[in-house]
Amino acid sequence: MKDEITIQTRREFLRHTVLAGALSWTVPTFVANTFSALQADAADQTTQTTTGRDGTILVVLQMAGGNDGLNTVVPFTNDYYHRARPRIGLAESKVLRVNSDVGLHPALTGFKDLYDAGRLAIVQGVGYPNPNRSHFRSTEIWQTASDSARFERYGWLGRYFDNACSGCDPTVGVCIGRQMPEAFTAKQPTGVSLDNPQNYRFMAGGQSRPGQPTSMEDSFRKLNQPEAETPENSGGTIAALSGPVRHSGSALDFLERTALDAQVSSDKIRSIASRVDNLAAYPGSQLGNSLKLVAKLIGGGLPTRVFYVSQGGYDTHTNQTNTQERLLKDLGDSVSAFVEDMKGQRNLPRVLVMTFSEFGRRVAENANGGTDHGAAAPMFVIGDKVKAGLLGQYPSLAPADLFQGDLKFNVDFRSVYAAVLESWLKTRSEPILGRRFTPLQIV
Amino acid sequence: MLHRFRQAAPAFFLKPCNITLRLSLRMLSRISWQRWDFTAAAHLLNRAGFGGPPTEIARLVALGPAQAVSYFVDYERVPDSPPNPAWAEPDPERAERLRAARDASPEERRKMQQEMQKNQREHIIELRAWWLRRMASGPRPLQEKMTLFWHGHFATSAEKVRDAYLMWRQNDLFRRLATGNWLEMLVAVAKDPAMLIWLDQAQSRKEHPNENFAREVMELFTLGEGHYTERDVTEAARALTGWSYDRQDEDFVERPMWHDRGAKTIFGETGYFNGQDFLEMLVARPQAARFITAKVWNYFAGTPPSAELTDALAATFRNGGNNFKPLLRTMFLSEEFYSPSIIRDQVKSPVQWLVGSVRVLERPLPPPLVCVGLTRNLGQDLFAPPNVKGWDGGLSWITTNTLLSRYNEAATLLQGDVSPITGGMFANRPNANKQFLRRVSQVRVGGVDVDKLFTEEERTDASALIPALERRLLQAKFKPEQEKVLRDYLDGQRGMNEGAILNAIRLVMSTPEYQLT
Repeated sequence: MKDEITIQTRREFLRHTVLAGALSWTVPTFVANTFSALQADAADQTTQTTTGRDGTILVVLQMAGGNDGLNTVVPFTNDYYHRARPRIGLAESKVLRVNSDVGLHPALTGFKDLYDAGRLAIVQGVGYPNPNRSHFRSTEIWQTASDSARFERYGWLGRYFDNACSGCDPTVGVCIGRQMPEAFTAKQPTGVSLDNPQNYRFMAGGQSRPGQPTSMEDSFRKLNQPEAETPENSGGTIAALSGPVRHSGSALDFLERTALDAQVSSDKIRSIASRVDNLAAYPGSQLGNSLKLVAKLIGGGLPTRVFYVSQGGYDTHTNQTNTQERLLKDLGDSVSAFVEDMKGQRNLPRVLVMTFSEFGRRVAENANGGTDHGAAAPMFVIGDKVKAGLLGQYPSLAPADLFQGDLKFNVDFRSVYAAVLESWLKTRSEPILGRRFTPLQIV
Repeated sequence: MLHRFRQAAPAFFLKPCNITLRLSLRMLSRISWQRWDFTAAAHLLNRAGFGGPPTEIARLVALGPAQAVSYFVDYERVPDSPPNPAWAEPDPERAERLRAARDASPEERRKMQQEMQKNQREHIIELRAWWLRRMASGPRPLQEKMTLFWHGHFATSAEKVRDAYLMWRQNDLFRRLATGNWLEMLVAVAKDPAMLIWLDQAQSRKEHPNENFAREVMELFTLGEGHYTERDVTEAARALTGWSYDRQDEDFVERPMWHDRGAKTIFGETGYFNGQDFLEMLVARPQAARFITAKVWNYFAGTPPSAELTDALAATFRNGGNNFKPLLRTMFLSEEFYSPSIIRDQVKSPVQWLVGSVRVLERPLPPPLVCVGLTRNLGQDLFAPPNVKGWDGGLSWITTNTLLSRYNEAATLLQGDVSPITGGMFANRPNANKQFLRRVSQVRVGGVDVDKLFTEEERTDASALIPALERRLLQAKFKPEQEKVLRDYLDGQRGMNEGAILNAIRLVMSTPEYQLT
């Protein structure tokens, strides 16, 4: 890749512009904050540095729409299960047996192989108290790690970035797609999103003459850098600019910040994507392509701690059988290809994949061969270092044990998050989750 | 911070006016003539419509606030009868084709279905372009803006409905009742075929009521989370049973045999309620007026209303018989709507970005397929919202990905360069991508005629061009250093030729500021 790399990291950008005074920029709020964070950096041991070569990586995989957990990890010997699901229930002969009582959906051959290889943990009966059956609210609860009745302003990964990664390169969080997940919402917006590396740049077009002081490219970069110096906040007082100014938190602030992050990450990401090859065959689905790109970015050493990918379509109110089969096959095949790729890169020991869905579905099937919104469901955690096997307890399906027709949870999802934060991302979980959740022994 | 053209007149200039509502003593008082300037008129044009060139803004300034607002709100006075898409009517051969498909061999059936789906996909693309044209050049901007509001509110996707005619019909409903009565709209939507399919109401019967519509109508359409109980959901679902869809007639049908005739308890009231009763109970709740007026305000003002303002909006709405037209008139004439914190602080939606851009650039919309690619890349596919909650909007339109796409797609509109969309679109669907590439490479997008936009002086003198760019593209001043960058750029070119001017426009469109309206 011959592209000139103008700005490597936000940190470098700040050094070259704000500190070295190559151009006399001042600082909108967010840069001031980043700057203060950098100053505090050396003293602050909790701030994580990311080199892109070591350090652990978390891949969060969202199964949007509310995956039916009962037909994913199937309690095939349970009478209540078959009675509640005369039409869509899966017979013992069909499931991929994990033990004498539960088995995986027949389409999850990819996961079965991972399970047999000791790389898949199934956390059973995950949920939270007072479950909410709205897609949006429940997704929000998972994304912000909040209590059911509490509204949190920032996402759980955003709070991780705020707590442990301030001053990091913006690519510390990468979302594959066009929208940022709510989980990334942070006090200091962090993370980038992309889906196609080739278009992830300012395309100056044929009329530009790069390198010249008045080329489009250069003008573009100047137009998208933070506000120039104005008399009221000149150089020496930057560190004191704790929370001013007139457009603190405005839409423009946010746009300026995003524009800067885009520039900082663009050259690097395109260069990696063109130089790294995938070492496994992925399904041609959206999820497959997303994980393919994640694998390239890991292989190229992007200093990322958290990747976010998603797969939609799990809201199976009608004719569930075919839809879920297609989705789970895609899921299992995509993830196992990704694991293969990581193995080939020798990066597998650094990578952990965690799946979640906003809720499971009702125990009883409905009249349309589907299922309605429910509560507790399983999560999957995949990697070289997971404690493979079944974790937690399968919730009871006995009608007397259900709450409004739904499974009761045994494992709070935040104790899975706590485990990932503490044992995998090596950071304290209380400041991020708001209080102590006993980490589940997953890694 | 953007520098506005003129400072607002202080509030004490306000003339006392006839005040009937106690609340309006403090809230929603009328904007004065003194405040009615280029910035205010541009703000109204941007928000109540899709923006426009300086000549249109000047016309609104001359009209004065009451007349200008009336131009938007009283749109029935403006004749408007553009043709509908050719296929936008019930298909007389539909029943026959369904029968033929049923009797065909599996292989033939698969072929027929593929053919039908392909047709539907083409029609949806045509439908998107048809609607975008109405927004970009139709004579009733507010009607289209409200239609877009309703599409985002009752967010229904063709991905599940899979029938362009039904999607058009729903769109037509939103347009017809755009500023009408709330209950009338709600009942019409509940009986709308696309909605009946989208939220599974069509299949809901007394043996197994489907809760999908019952839940979303309370959570997302009328009350909001926390203003109903789980019991209300299951009971409302029972009340709604029997409201269904007839595939043969392609129309709403009431199926008495499917209706649960038993007593239901909704919001603590017990009775033998049916769907109509339930919707009337919903609209009668005080929270319903607060919920919908707050959402309308947020849509136009770009920021949620304070509790006090919400009370005032809800009161205005109720006093106007739960009709949207008087609410909108009051809003667009209110001091609050023109407060400095609201002006130029809303992130343009992708549709606003596209339609607004072609309007200020005075160029036609690109061909349908290109329009679809442009908005999809920016995160908004008309007739295919991501879910029933619609697009989150606001800051969530902006990610590093979509921001770079906006910057690059400016080149599509200015210079006809389609590469920003051929690369990104369908990045995740390789096969669709190939076909799309082939088709897009055959269309001509066209560019912008700078002679039309700028006077000769502006086209030859950077000092004249820069203020002209400000007025046309931002309706606000550049920051001093941005102005310098543009001037340096123009000075560095060999003369002010068309290419240089187009690139200067591109640079303005590739700033954070241009993404705001």
